[in-house]
Amino acid sequence: METKTRLRQSFGEASKKRVGIFSLTCDEGCSIMLTEIFNRKLIPWLEKMELVYFLSIKDKVEIKDLDIALVEGVVTSERDKEDIEKIRANTKILIAMGTCAMTALPSGQRNNFNINQLKEIEGHLEKYNFLPKALALKDAVKVDDNISGCPIDEEKFVETFEKYL
Amino acid sequence: MHSCNLDVEISKLSKIEGHADLDIKIRDGKLEEVNLKVMENLRFFNQAVKGQSYAAVPQLVSRICGTCSIAHLTGCIEAVEKTLGIEISPQTLLLRKLTVYSMMIRDHALHLYFFAMPDMLGIDSLLDVPREKHNLIHDALAVKEAGNNLSELIAGRAVHAPFEQVGGFSHEIDAAKVPRIIEQLKKIRPTVLKLIDIFAACDWKFERKTNFVALVTDDFSFLEGKIKDSRGDVIEEKDYWDHLHKVVLPYSQATGFEFEGKEYMVGSLARLNLNKNNLHESTKRDAAKYIAKFPSENVYDNNLAQAIEILHSVDHSIELLKNNKFVKEEPAKPEKLSGKNAGAIEAPRGTLYYALEIEEGKVKELKLVIPTAQNLVNMKKDVEEIVRGFCATGIDKAELEKKIIFEVSKLIRAYDPCMSCASHFLRVRWL
Repeated sequence: METKTRLRQSFGEASKKRVGIFSLTCDEGCSIMLTEIFNRKLIPWLEKMELVYFLSIKDKVEIKDLDIALVEGVVTSERDKEDIEKIRANTKILIAMGTCAMTALPSGQRNNFNINQLKEIEGHLEKYNFLPKALALKDAVKVDDNISGCPIDEEKFVETFEKYL
Repeated sequence: MHSCNLDVEISKLSKIEGHADLDIKIRDGKLEEVNLKVMENLRFFNQAVKGQSYAAVPQLVSRICGTCSIAHLTGCIEAVEKTLGIEISPQTLLLRKLTVYSMMIRDHALHLYFFAMPDMLGIDSLLDVPREKHNLIHDALAVKEAGNNLSELIAGRAVHAPFEQVGGFSHEIDAAKVPRIIEQLKKIRPTVLKLIDIFAACDWKFERKTNFVALVTDDFSFLEGKIKDSRGDVIEEKDYWDHLHKVVLPYSQATGFEFEGKEYMVGSLARLNLNKNNLHESTKRDAAKYIAKFPSENVYDNNLAQAIEILHSVDHSIELLKNNKFVKEEPAKPEKLSGKNAGAIEAPRGTLYYALEIEEGKVKELKLVIPTAQNLVNMKKDVEEIVRGFCATGIDKAELEKKIIFEVSKLIRAYDPCMSCASHFLRVRWL
């Protein structure tokens, strides 16, 4: 890890924040909204950040040494839980992006289902290792900051994100 | 050499919407199995809508998909209106066309520049383009921005548009902003023509006989008309379901579909193949030599078709914005509160069908057919044929694996699949 940091320093990228954008269970509306915010902001932000992980626009890399992780969606399955724990362990700052990540709704709408609705989905929940309830990020890991909205509010995103850049 | 065993596992395909894995099993140099696994966790929309008010359900299903939320919103609204006998005004129809165009512009641009173009340039991400091609990043952002701003003007936002509602639009169009939006659309026009050039010059080819299906609209506005296929069948929107049949995909949280018992393809390529004569006159004039390429069976021409659809969306939007004055209108009211009906629109990735049963203003049952779910069977068969072709060349194992991963990912990307959408479906007892 140290060698890597030194290498990056020699390429003049050490001062750039390593940013990852992650989607747990959701419609990915917040990251789509983010790509729209990028229309005006990407070029100036690229002076200060390196986009390390964002499956929407680049191939998978190992999740490691992040400065800022922006996470959308809810923690609904065992796999989501493993993913968010891995992200947490490898980032300095973790930001919950959007209402799903902050409150588990709307993507965790099954939490509010009545008995009849639950009956229809219970087989599926079991088969695919869903958790008993869909969780907001803060109920699974420590969260450092939040950006509300469904999808994220542009002004709030810019304000919050730039604090950490 | 010819008898290698190989398991290719592509986990988390990138540069598509949502999560999917692909497993390919080769035994004794022969393809044994392809499993396309949609790894999105279900969010159970079919259940969540039950008992909800007809007016609230469109915003709820908008959350099925971030990138084509406007398609779900519009498709669901249309089905509600058909079910409850709501007659919308001519102005509402115009505004809806503009809303759908705004989505097509930014959604297709995202796919073409950020998902498909890196494969052509031999890079991982558009952000990695060499400095001399940096204008492509600026082009991408400018085209998306024009679509995004059109969404904001007409529907309030590009994602989960707040103004579009059952019966009409809740907000008046800010007339003062219209000239700037027209200017912006005119400004990106040459950029879009350049984009068409880029994809027309692409020599990728994969052809396999299949059927194409699309809603054929008189003015190519994605909203009304009849569903047609390459064989000449014509179907009313509401009857579409009767011609489909669900296919279970093992290990996958999604269901596939067949049309008349066979695989088929929906999306831009299908629309250009079936309806190119109805493109806007300016589009037909300036992209004539590329439009002449259709009908095409080359899956990669789906990219070219998307680029042409961006131009059409820009051209028709400019015309609609120029020639219409928009006034404040009250939303149209339902004539009844119970019923059962269905409707279809063309979403960016293909035909999107919504069927509803409403009782006393509350949704009793929702059934929908998503574009990507319709393409899954066709996509899987294409992957199988490509892999079989590579196996037959007898290249060594390492080379074979590399080739499969690159070519298969590229082919799947050309479909522009949306796994967030594809995974909404849970098999339920439907009436």
